[in-house]
Amino acid sequence: MSSREALAETLRVNLAAVLARARVRVVASWRETSWVVGETVFPFLTMAAFVLVYRGLHAPRIYEAFVVLGGAMTAYWNNVLWSMASQFFWEKEQGQLQLYLITPVSRMSILLGMALGGIAMTTTRAVAILLGGTLLFHVPIPADRILPALGLFLLTLAAVYALGMILSSVFLLWGRSAWHTVTLFQEPVYLLSGFYFPVSFLGAFVGALAALLPITLGLDGIRQIFYGKEAHGFVPLAWIPPIEIALFALFLFLAHKALLLMETLGKREGRLTIRGG
Amino acid sequence: MKRFWEVTRAAAWLGWQVEANWADPVLFIAYSFAKPLATTLILFFMVQVVSHGHATRDTFLFLFLGNTFFLYVSEVLVGLSWAIFRDREDFETLKYVYLAPIRMIPYLAGRALTKIATATLGATVALLFGRFVLGLSISGAPDVLLRLVGVVALGLLGIVFLGFALAGAALIMARHSMNLNEGLTGAFYLLCGAVFPIEVLPKWAQGVSLALPFTYWLELIRRLLTGRAYAAPLASLGDGALVGILALSTVLLGVAATAWFNWCEGIARARGLIDWKTNY
Repeated sequence: MSSREALAETLRVNLAAVLARARVRVVASWRETSWVVGETVFPFLTMAAFVLVYRGLHAPRIYEAFVVLGGAMTAYWNNVLWSMASQFFWEKEQGQLQLYLITPVSRMSILLGMALGGIAMTTTRAVAILLGGTLLFHVPIPADRILPALGLFLLTLAAVYALGMILSSVFLLWGRSAWHTVTLFQEPVYLLSGFYFPVSFLGAFVGALAALLPITLGLDGIRQIFYGKEAHGFVPLAWIPPIEIALFALFLFLAHKALLLMETLGKREGRLTIRGG
Repeated sequence: MKRFWEVTRAAAWLGWQVEANWADPVLFIAYSFAKPLATTLILFFMVQVVSHGHATRDTFLFLFLGNTFFLYVSEVLVGLSWAIFRDREDFETLKYVYLAPIRMIPYLAGRALTKIATATLGATVALLFGRFVLGLSISGAPDVLLRLVGVVALGLLGIVFLGFALAGAALIMARHSMNLNEGLTGAFYLLCGAVFPIEVLPKWAQGVSLALPFTYWLELIRRLLTGRAYAAPLASLGDGALVGILALSTVLLGVAATAWFNWCEGIARARGLIDWKTNY
């Protein structure tokens, strides 16, 4: 086999791995009726509670729109935490991690498949939140600005899921503490990333710290695209796409390094196959 | 009853071991405090900064108390379902629990006790934070605290019963139905007026809200700690009437939840779902 054919074969096998890992999630998400309901109707209710908080406070209507957009992004952040960051740990407990390690594919392909499948799964939830918010609460989402917002949203997702790839290795090494660590990354991130109010209200220092998470600036930028100055943007909109691209590249590089470190350390310390370890 | 307590105590200890014995203490404490403090601060910013002065300190106190005590609802409801999924699929021990000469209800009651302990830790820290850092006027009089303990205990009984019902559903559902259980908790958060006055809800939703024991529970807690009534639809009811409604609904919930759990358990056994694995 020539080197060109070998490269083509490697690409084919890895692409097949990406599609196979993603397919499991997509198929599973529609196989269980309870999941479909749980992923759509109920998350909308939680978001609705925060919309009603603003309504009860007689806050400007635009803040209700902030909550709806934040609620949709919450779905992706939770998916990154529970179905990317902690997934390898769960796979290890169930004995599947070792199967991934003995296959002739890159671990990055497995993670990419998980990410793409996770995005497909979560989009149902996010769309339900957006549609529900628009139709029931009549939050203003300017239709003529959807395309640029979608572009920034996709950039944000790429960076957020690349961060999830890093976390999956890190959490695996943390062992069972990963469970609690996921919780630490949930509500505090809702606060710091401004899921329910513009992050600029937290001040420059806290906002800058929160901006290390790509979802913070992504959400800030999407709100700016839709609502301009009323969004109380944290950084100028023009800065956000390059920052997201830089974070994506950085996180992808770190994810690759973290995977290698996880595998090497895991093999050396015999922690890849110990169940419940 | 003695046997019930023995199983409950052992399950509570097991739950504590699963939750905390292997974790870094600093991480565990941070985990226990993170959710209540973060949600408190989210609401704080929503009220103080975003409402542009429309909201009063009293409004935030209303949100704060509802959000803090709702922690019990989310911890126990989600926690009991998770206990089923984790035991069944991660630790694969649920089948051994069924092989042991014990019944599931006291076992689940024990697992709920662990969650109640964790939630109490979080709620206490949040209350102290509210009282001393945010300067909220929360009553700390001994007689109020004594009555508060009684009301909280009565409400917790109802929450645990509902937890049994969700644990029953978890027995016959795949792991990812966790979203359903978490979502149901979100629905309660919405409907029982944890963070906004229920009069903001549409009329039909107010009807649902008034059918939920948590609505009366949170109103009672708010009245005890602040000395005033909040929910307009409950304004005509005295504290005694609220306690009576709460007690009656708890009894009804207990009967219904136990029957539902037993039915689900029968289905799970018949279909061979006790050692089901559904982590996709």
